Amino acid sequence: MATTTAAITLTSADLLTDALSLSATNTLYKSGSTVGLDQTTGMARAFLTATTVVDIFPQLIEASIAFENKSSWVYICNKSEDETEFITVKICEQVIGKLYAQDFLWMPWSMRESANANNHHGDITVEPSVATGMAIEFTCINEGTEYPTENLATA
Amino acid sequence: MATITAQLTVNSDISDYGISINKSMTLTKAGTNQGLERTSGVQRAYLTNLNHVDLIKGGLAGSPVADMTVTGATAAKVYIKYLSDDTSKFVRIGLGNAADGTTQTANNGDGTFFEIGRLYGNEWMIIPWNGASNVGDITVQPSVATTADEAIVEYIVFFE
Repeated sequence: MATTTAAITLTSADLLTDALSLSATNTLYKSGSTVGLDQTTGMARAFLTATTVVDIFPQLIEASIAFENKSSWVYICNKSEDETEFITVKICEQVIGKLYAQDFLWMPWSMRESANANNHHGDITVEPSVATGMAIEFTCINEGTEYPTENLATA
Repeated sequence: MATITAQLTVNSDISDYGISINKSMTLTKAGTNQGLERTSGVQRAYLTNLNHVDLIKGGLAGSPVADMTVTGATAAKVYIKYLSDDTSKFVRIGLGNAADGTTQTANNGDGTFFEIGRLYGNEWMIIPWNGASNVGDITVQPSVATTADEAIVEYIVFFE
């Protein structure tokens, strides 16, 4: 069984009158258990050269009955060095927020399928603010992946 | 101008190559190097039933971030933790609007709810926050909560 630990420390010496220091650590388990997550997409790096919205986890079939509501964790980091550049992160086409240069997020992902008639899935997408090239890094650590079946059709 | 730093560390032996994330970010205002300078402070929500409710409303009266400027050109970060030692319990964290009542509804882009993910006992998350009115509320719904066994969710918002 794999062991994955995640830790965060939030600090500020000058935001408040007193120093802020907040820390949390946890082990990533399969949903509702104490069994460690055992699958991952691996850490990916992409260089995006268009301002189009892209699905960064296409290999995960979000509508999968087997893995919807299972435990998945997502890390996304905007590797840009230009503080004016950002990526807009969405889930199911709703904006979560913007990651500016060197910002990251760490969040759970339910891979939910919307019950809405528009057939929206819980895709996590990113949209660069510029087309001049932005690097992002991302990974998903999860307990289940249903890969697309072979499709050799060319049209 | 304040300096707020978030340090994320993730280590895993999930494969022979493992995963190691060691990343620090300084929380800044949108498009600048100036630090965020406002905060909700550390808040705790005590949930005593299974209702699906707003945890954080963007820029509304009565909200811990009532003075937040909600536009597409501002920056905010949200940290949320579910305080429980029981890893079988969870809270659903959603995006949308639970103000229409206690009924969990599916996203349709018009101000209802879509589940981002679930925080099981002792898990936490940190995300940027758009805070858009109507569709940008961060919602929460516990899997188990009673007056005798409250679900406690801790959070803090940093914003400009």
